[in-house]
Amino acid sequence: MPTVEKIPVTVLTGFLGAGKTTLLNRILTGTHGRRYAVVINEFGELGVDNDLVIDADEEVFEMNNGCICCTVRGDLIRILGGLMKRGRTFDGIIVETTGLANPAPVAQTFFVDEGVNARTRLDAIVTVVDAKFIAAQLRDSAEAEAQIAFADIVVLNKLDLVSDEARGQAEARIRAINPLARIMPATRSDIDIAQVLQQNAFDLARIVEFDPDFLQSDEHGHTEGVYSASFEVSRPIDMHKFQQWMGTLLQEKGQDLLRTKGILNLEGENRRFAFQAVHMMADGDFVGDWVQDAPRKSRLVFIGRDLNRPQLRRGFEACQVKG
Amino acid sequence: MSAAVDIPTLRRDGATLDAPVTGACFNRAGTHAAFAAGDGSLHIAPATGGNWQRVAAHDGAIMAAAPDTDAHGFLTAGDDGRLLRISVTGAITELFSTGGKWIEHVISFAEKSDGLIACAAGKQVHLFDAAGARLKTLATPSTVAGIAFDGKGKRIAAAHYGGASLWFTQSKSDQPRKLDWKGSHIGVALHPAAEALVTSMQENALHGWRLSDAQHMQMTGYPTKCESLGFTRSGKYLASAGADAIVIWPFTGGGPMGKPPLERARLNDTLCTRIACHPKHDIVAAGYSDGTVSVAEITSDRVMLIEAGKGSPVTALAFSPDGAVIAWGTEAGNAEMTRPG
Repeated sequence: MPTVEKIPVTVLTGFLGAGKTTLLNRILTGTHGRRYAVVINEFGELGVDNDLVIDADEEVFEMNNGCICCTVRGDLIRILGGLMKRGRTFDGIIVETTGLANPAPVAQTFFVDEGVNARTRLDAIVTVVDAKFIAAQLRDSAEAEAQIAFADIVVLNKLDLVSDEARGQAEARIRAINPLARIMPATRSDIDIAQVLQQNAFDLARIVEFDPDFLQSDEHGHTEGVYSASFEVSRPIDMHKFQQWMGTLLQEKGQDLLRTKGILNLEGENRRFAFQAVHMMADGDFVGDWVQDAPRKSRLVFIGRDLNRPQLRRGFEACQVKG
Repeated sequence: MSAAVDIPTLRRDGATLDAPVTGACFNRAGTHAAFAAGDGSLHIAPATGGNWQRVAAHDGAIMAAAPDTDAHGFLTAGDDGRLLRISVTGAITELFSTGGKWIEHVISFAEKSDGLIACAAGKQVHLFDAAGARLKTLATPSTVAGIAFDGKGKRIAAAHYGGASLWFTQSKSDQPRKLDWKGSHIGVALHPAAEALVTSMQENALHGWRLSDAQHMQMTGYPTKCESLGFTRSGKYLASAGADAIVIWPFTGGGPMGKPPLERARLNDTLCTRIACHPKHDIVAAGYSDGTVSVAEITSDRVMLIEAGKGSPVTALAFSPDGAVIAWGTEAGNAEMTRPG
């Protein structure tokens, strides 16, 4: 079958009133020269007349595969399939979730459904956060935490309403939950749209771009709610051991592990191996050569709940070949 | 049955449309085929050859097409939320509009002067009489993923999350018989004599209910989702896509329980994407992910290759009412027909 370029799908999440609809309107009316199909939940809020705006009822169901956290958006499978019937008449798809939605089912849909996976790709999960109310919203809602945990990009919005100090606190809260997300400061969702769309953030190759600095601030900090744990090892990784350890870990702890990302230096291999998982669903591939003569270190980041750092560290370290 | 596949010399007719082919069907008289496209156009082609007519029907994609209840017309459902009746000369009449919500399915039934039309949009199935007047609206617990009539138009089935619903079309009550099975059901086939109802599922399997006693049937082993399934006219077999062959479950002598399926017209490394059962005999046409189209006799190993694949997956497939002409379309927009010479 001829390979066709997959259509990028951007998932737009955010707390109620954070500025999601404003951002959506900016994307739809912007002069970026691209045409987007938009799947929304609250019809009528959007002030844009666009024949590619589709009204969806979020319909989440559990897969019959014995995995209780394996929930997917059945409506999205249907709608993405339906949109593909038009042929290539648009450049991308934006899926807006309700303010109270957990992004996991959307992300998992791209792992589970072959049809979706064959024609579209998850480009990025973008979460709009209200800088003023972030603390209260994180306190009141587990979904708010999950939305930040799943984000590839966090739009920190309404900065005109907060002091520099409050802005710093908000950024620290986001970082504590998700050290990998890119934070984009905004007022009235006035970000550069080109910095949000077509990001390939879910592409395994992008995992290489881990910021090495985040490791330093990691070992202390939050142990409540959703937080992250990062590890680095220097000796090459035994792929068989890693697969066994990660497979068991995702089986047993997958419900608490929201996102996992890693870049591995496999024994006897000149290419970097990238790895990512959403709950129990994992994906991995080689993503190009290591930089010559630079140290080859394997890194792993977990974003989740109840992370046992010493245990995870020992597990990862045990995947190394014997020194 | 030896001469059942009566296509001695293949005469071809075809066109390349500007968008993926989303549906194909013949009118009840069999004089014309219609190809629905993702750009909202319907292409009407004489079954005996001649000029094709392009009808600009929907603002968006046509999601499904079906023969009208009369001899010559067609019905189309669009993602513009409209259900249209399109005459063989291309005249358009709007039968129904949702105001925008996608109408994803349309089916029809006709016998003598009587008939029924059904379409599905969101969590509703709308039922119309032969003339197109709305009779009733049936509600489902989640979005309808497929609808089917039985062979007499007495019952209508809908697939959705958690199972299927089955209604009597003439019943005064709109309460369905609920057939429950956990999971997402993405397609449905109803036995012509209403002996069984079978759904396809997200988990690469079929699930069935014997309607006399609601006994469950599980039909597994598919490498991908089955996006096309149907009973043969005799009701003896259920043919299905989703594997590298046509997978056919026998529904004779107690049903498919404990019996292996038949596999016909196998193609290595190529998946069957669409099936169409012959209107009279136990014969199935199949379209594949590489564009191949073939016809297989269920009771033998006879297979006739209609089209060697050009690469684009078959997305629509239909027999003419007499079973002599086959129409199919592909994702790349190829719309084709073969007929006896």
